[in-house]
Parts: sequence; structure tokens; C-alpha cells
Amino acid sequence: MRLSVRQLDYQIEGTTILKNISLEIREGEFVGLVGPNGCGKSTLLKAIYKTYKPQKGAVFVDGRDVCGLAPREMAREMAVMAQENSVEFDLEVMDMVMYGRYSHRKFFEGEKKEDREICLRFIREVGLAGYEHRSYLSLSGGEKQRVLLARALTQGSRLIVLDEPTNHLDVRFQYLIMQTLKKQDVTVFSSIHDLNLAAMYCDRILLMDQGQIIQAGTPEEVITAENIGRIFGVDTQITVNELTGKIQVYYLPDETGI
Amino acid sequence: MAFIAGICVLIGIAACLSILIGAVEIYPGDIGKIILNKMMGREFFACTWEDNVETIIWNIRLPRVLMACIVGAGLSVCGVLMQALTKNSLADPYVLGISSGASAGAVCAIVLGLFSFMGGYSTMFGATLGATVSIILSLKIASLRGRITSTQLVLAGIATSALFTALTNLFIYGFHTGSDKTKTAQYWMVGSLSGASWGKTGYVAVVFALAIVVILLFARDLDVLLLGDDVAENLGVNTGRIKLVIIIMSTLLTGVVVSVSGVIGFIGLVVPHMVRTIVGSKHKRLIPAVILVGGLFTMAADMVSRVVIAPEELPIGIISALIGAPFFLYLIRSSKAR
Repeated sequence: MRLSVRQLDYQIEGTTILKNISLEIREGEFVGLVGPNGCGKSTLLKAIYKTYKPQKGAVFVDGRDVCGLAPREMAREMAVMAQENSVEFDLEVMDMVMYGRYSHRKFFEGEKKEDREICLRFIREVGLAGYEHRSYLSLSGGEKQRVLLARALTQGSRLIVLDEPTNHLDVRFQYLIMQTLKKQDVTVFSSIHDLNLAAMYCDRILLMDQGQIIQAGTPEEVITAENIGRIFGVDTQITVNELTGKIQVYYLPDETGI
Repeated sequence: MAFIAGICVLIGIAACLSILIGAVEIYPGDIGKIILNKMMGREFFACTWEDNVETIIWNIRLPRVLMACIVGAGLSVCGVLMQALTKNSLADPYVLGISSGASAGAVCAIVLGLFSFMGGYSTMFGATLGATVSIILSLKIASLRGRITSTQLVLAGIATSALFTALTNLFIYGFHTGSDKTKTAQYWMVGSLSGASWGKTGYVAVVFALAIVVILLFARDLDVLLLGDDVAENLGVNTGRIKLVIIIMSTLLTGVVVSVSGVIGFIGLVVPHMVRTIVGSKHKRLIPAVILVGGLFTMAADMVSRVVIAPEELPIGIISALIGAPFFLYLIRSSKAR
């Protein structure tokens, strides 16, 4: 599943949030989007999954403009996992995950055995077996995030777009979520706050600042002391971890007088 | 399942009681006989009762019981729909100002004598027209800033309500102060089932049945919509379409219900809330359950409204709020404790 964004501009009430953004994500890639708070990461993702309509430019999935796709078709192409805090009505975990199958069920078609099996498989995969009949609102933050991940995976689309999936989670769940994603045979595009987490899992990283993509490349190319110093204003030491072979960022805030 | 069966039994009991109670005494056995006779169209059972008993049961009490049932069910379903539309479990059928619009229209018809070309249906016509105007106005206000959000819908509803309530009061106080018409108008604004007839009952029943069929077709879309518009859209729901369905169906249903019974408060809020705690928020189960409980609650409230100050009767709106408010407080308390 190929995702491409071409010359995207987005303004909210006269303020430019995204400036001439173009990017290309290839089939099967795991791509991270990093950048400081307020640089436009969430807005870019929202424009990609059609919550925002860009004023200029377009988003294509496998060469098809997303604006021309009906919601049901779109959901089969692209699954979304974003921050969700606004659920006021309680429901069971199983029902929540089952909503991921919405786009695969015909009008007025009941729950099929196959749908249930898919849901149960992904509930197990995110480590929530036995939680099927728990109430969603009673879960902890980490459990809720994992339910949402299971729901996105049951959608069965070959592209998943995620907005900071590891936000507010402790170390264990951060890695559990990334690990689960990595195992899937899907294309992943995710904004990630933690640079070490991004370096560990991403094939490629897009670095964003002030509504533009500054650089794109492998973690080693993008996560450099020079870039982090310039964009986040924090001095760093970057080494290669002997065990993982991945780069590791150490922050040295004293130098900047923080 | 046991819950549904239990409610059905209670509805049966309440209906019989409701027909029995009143100024003229009736033998319980006669009810079934009279109804069967009427339905068969001939004298299946020998006539052992006086003619006026038959008239009272068939022409006065039975349509009233049925209308109470449908009105309550309709208001409860509209409550569920408005809660899905605004993602707020405290929304009721009147949240978008439909009730105030309907009141204004009806009071226009009663006090000013407008729409007299509709004959006996002028109040109903005024109410339905008012409901339609108010919802259009609410939606226009909500969409002033482009995207319609739940908060904007609620705020627009408040503004529309305020406007139409002011208009209604203007009609009442500005013209014919103290006349009989004003009394009728006020009685109507609190909600009352005293004007029940077969004609009105048939009219709400048809609209109600139509609305329920359409809503049940979209039950799954409603479920997903509760997660929020954006999330529902990402999961593949055509949110524009489902919101349009909700708005059309609930305006139609509320408008028609209000046009025959006036503005009965609280039922559309309390019943969905109560039923949600028992059967959950999946609409395929919620809507049938809400229809039954709404019908039962309204029938019971109507019965009380006829008995309390007999031989006079109170408007049912007063009773439903008097029973509903403490009960609602109890629900809020017990759900906090969970």
C-alpha cells in the first residue's frame, strides 16, 4: 500500500499550519514522523485521514485521491489510531474492537463467525485476552490504547496511520504497542514523540518543523546531534547501542542552561 | 430477554388498570369482551353492559392508553437519537429547540387562530410546522462556522429555544390575556393527553412505525457514531448521512408527538438513561427496550395524572417531571457509586 502526499497546504483561520508538504511512503515501510510540539504533525495526519480537508494539494492511497473515496472504502484502505478521550457511553471491549469490522459488513448484515475470530485474535495479540466483556471505560490508559490498536488492526487495511500511539504509556506498553505493529504485515505511518523509540522501530523517519518536512531518511541520517540541537534546542550525544545495533540518544540539557 | 418479557407484562397490567380507572366504574371482564367485539366487528360476546360503558372504553379510554404508549415510546426514541447526535447522555428530544418551536406554532394556532384552513387539525399543523422551522434554524446557527460540532448543536438549540419560548409567551401575554384560549395554550405547553382520539392515535402510530423501521435499519451506524464523528468516519461510517437520518426522523417524530400531546418533559431524558444502565448502549437492543419502557412509564404517569385530583386531571407533564426528577437523581447517585 503506497501513500503519497503532494504539495499539501493547510490553513486554519488564516494561520498556515502545513506548507507545501510532499511525502511518499512505500509498501510495507514503517515510517515515523517526529518534530517538536505544534509543528503540525497531528494536522498532517488528520489531513491524511480526511478529518481535515486541505486547501491545496492532495493525498493519494495507491494512486487514488482519498477525497474521492467513500467512507467505507476509505476505512478498508486505511486504519487510523488517534487519541480518543471523548467516549461518554460505555461499551464492552469486544464491541469496541468489533467496530473495526464495520467497513467489511454489508448493510444490515449480522456479526459473522469470521468477524468474531478476527477480533479475538487481535485482542489476544495486544495482550488483552480475557478482557472481552470488560467495560471499556473502566480500563486503564494503557489498556484503552491497546484496545484501540486491536480495533485498528481488525480493520484489515494494509495501511495504518497512528497519532502518537504510545502517548502517556509506561515503558512496557510503549514497546508492546510498537512490537505488535512491527509484527504486522502492513504499512505503518506514525507520529512518535520518543526519538529512541522511533530509532528502534522505524525504517525511515520524517523530521518536521514549522509545518514543513525538513528531512527524510533512515534514523541514522535524520536523528543527528545537529538536527536535534537546531530543532528541539537540546544538546545530545548519540551513540550506537551494542546490543540492538540501533542509535541511542542521550540528552545533555545542562549545556543549554535549562 | 427476561427484562423485555417483564416489561411487556407490566404494560399489559398498566393498560388494563388505566382503562379501569375513571369516573365511570367498569368490570375488568368487560374490557376484553368489548375490545374483541369491536375488533371482530360483530357481537362475539353478548352485550351485558350499558352502551355508555362501551363508548367510554372504546372511544375515550382505549385511544388514550394507546396514545400514551406511543407518545412515551416516541419521545424516548427521540431522546436516544439526540443523545447519539450530540454525544451527550443528557440530551433530550427537545435539545435542538424542537419543543419550543412546536409550542410557538401550536400557540399561534390556538391563540391567534392561524392555520384555520386546516380545521380541527390546525394545532397539530402549527406544532409540526413550528418544529420544522426550529430545527432548520438550529442547524443554520450551528453551521455558521463551517463544521457542525456537538457543542455547537447544543448551543444553537439553546438559542433557538430561547427565541421561540419568548415568541410563545409574547403570543400568550400579548393577545387575549386571560381568555380561555390562553388557558388551553398553557395546558398544552405543559403537555397533556386529554385530547386523545382514534384519529390522533392513528396519525402518531403511522409516523412512529415509519420512523422506527428507518432507525432500526441504521442501528449499527448509530452505535459507531457514539464514538464521535471523526472516529466513526475513520471506521467507515458515512456520518453525514446518518446525521441527516437522525435529524429528519427525530424532527418528524417529535413534531408529530408534540402536536398531539403538547410538550411532555423528562420522559425523553429519563427513559433512555434508565434503559442504558440495564441493556447497554447498543441500539439494536436499546431502541426496542426504550420503546417498551417509554410506553410503560407514560401510561403510568398518565394514570396518576387522572387519579391525583379526580375528577379533575393534572397535565401529564407535571406528573412525569415529578416522578422523573427524583428518580433521575437516584440514577445519577447510583451510577456515580459504580
